[in-house]
Amino acid sequence: MDVNERIHAQLVKAGVKLAASLPDDWVNNLIRQVEHGNEIRHVRVGREAETIAICAGAFFGGVRSVAIMGNTGLLTCTGEMATLCLRHMIPVFCIVSGRGSIDDHKVYQEVQGRRTIPLLQAYDYPYKIIDKDEEIDDIPNAYEWHRLQKRPFILFLTKKLLGTNA
Amino acid sequence: MKANECMKVLAKHRGDAVVVCALGMAANEWWAVTHSEDSFYMHGGMGLASSFALGLAISIPETPVWVINSDGGLSMNTGTLLTEAGQQLRNMKHFVVDNQCYQTVENMPMVNQNGADYTMMARGAGFQRAITIDNLEDLDRKMPEIVASPGPYFIRLRIEAEQNYQRTPPASYEGPEMKYRFGRAMEKKLGVKVFGPRGY
Repeated sequence: MDVNERIHAQLVKAGVKLAASLPDDWVNNLIRQVEHGNEIRHVRVGREAETIAICAGAFFGGVRSVAIMGNTGLLTCTGEMATLCLRHMIPVFCIVSGRGSIDDHKVYQEVQGRRTIPLLQAYDYPYKIIDKDEEIDDIPNAYEWHRLQKRPFILFLTKKLLGTNA
Repeated sequence: MKANECMKVLAKHRGDAVVVCALGMAANEWWAVTHSEDSFYMHGGMGLASSFALGLAISIPETPVWVINSDGGLSMNTGTLLTEAGQQLRNMKHFVVDNQCYQTVENMPMVNQNGADYTMMARGAGFQRAITIDNLEDLDRKMPEIVASPGPYFIRLRIEAEQNYQRTPPASYEGPEMKYRFGRAMEKKLGVKVFGPRGY
C-alpha cells in the first residue's frame, strides 16, 4: 500500500465514516483515496470552516469523522474552531498538510510554516506531526486521544512522509 | 410575521425533526417556544449552523434535520448552499429567519439590506426546492408540504425586525452543558452512541 492508502486504512480502523475536505496539493491524493474507497463518505466544501462544523455535527449523530485540508485553510478557520468547538467542547479530528516546512519552497506558504504551530499553541489545540511511515499506525490511537481532549486535534502530514513533488 | 409567531408554527409541524439553531435570535426564539433539548442552540461559530446540521443529517439519515439559520449566519457562509446542494440530503431542510438586521446586536442593518434574495441564491446554488414565505397563514398552509417533501429544501422566512432586541433570552444552559444535554438527547431519541462508556 502507498502512504495515502495506509492513512486511509488507519482512518477506517479508527472507525471514521465521514470525511469533509477542501483540496491542497499535498492532501489531494488522500482525498482521492477517500473518494475511491467506499468505507468513508466524502463531502466537498467551499470553505475549510465548513469541514469543522460538519464534523462537529456528525459527532452528535454518533459518527466518527475527519476534516482534511491544507495548512492555509487551517489558518482561516482557527477562530471558528474556537467559538464552535472550544465553546462546546467538541472534538474534531483534522488532517492537514504541513505546508511551509523547510523543504516546501512555495513562497505563498512561508507564513503558514512560521506561524501555524504558535497559533495552535495559543489556542491550546493539540497536534502531532507525522513524517515517518511507521507513525501512520498511530492514527487510531490519536483518534481515541483527541476524543478525550474534547477539542480540535491536528495531524500534520509532512512532505517527506507524502513524498510529494508539489 | 413576528419571529415568535413564526417559531410557534414551525414547532407545530416539527414532528420528529432534530433542530439546529443559529446563534442569536433564531436560537433564542426557538428555545422560548419549545424548550426542547433535542435541539442544538449554537453559542458560537456564526455562519456554521447549516454546516453543523449537514454533518448531523448525514449521520442520522432516517431522521429529519432542520436548521433554523439566520440571515446574518447565511451571509457569513453562503458557500453552505453549494455544499448542501452537492449532498442532496433528503432529510435536511434549511430555514432562514430573514429580518434584514442583526437583531441581537442592536438591530444593526444587514449587509446589502433589502437588496438580496436568499431564495434566488439557493436556487442558483442548486436547490430544486426553494421558497419565500412572508406570512403566518401561508407558512401554516405550506408546512405539511415542506415536511413531506424530500430535501434539500430551502425556506426563507421573511419576518419583521423587532425593537427591544434582547427581548427573548437565550437558553438557560450553554457551551459544555449544551453538548451533553443535546448528545444525551440524541442517544435517547435515536439510539445512537454519542459518548463512550466513560462519558467522552
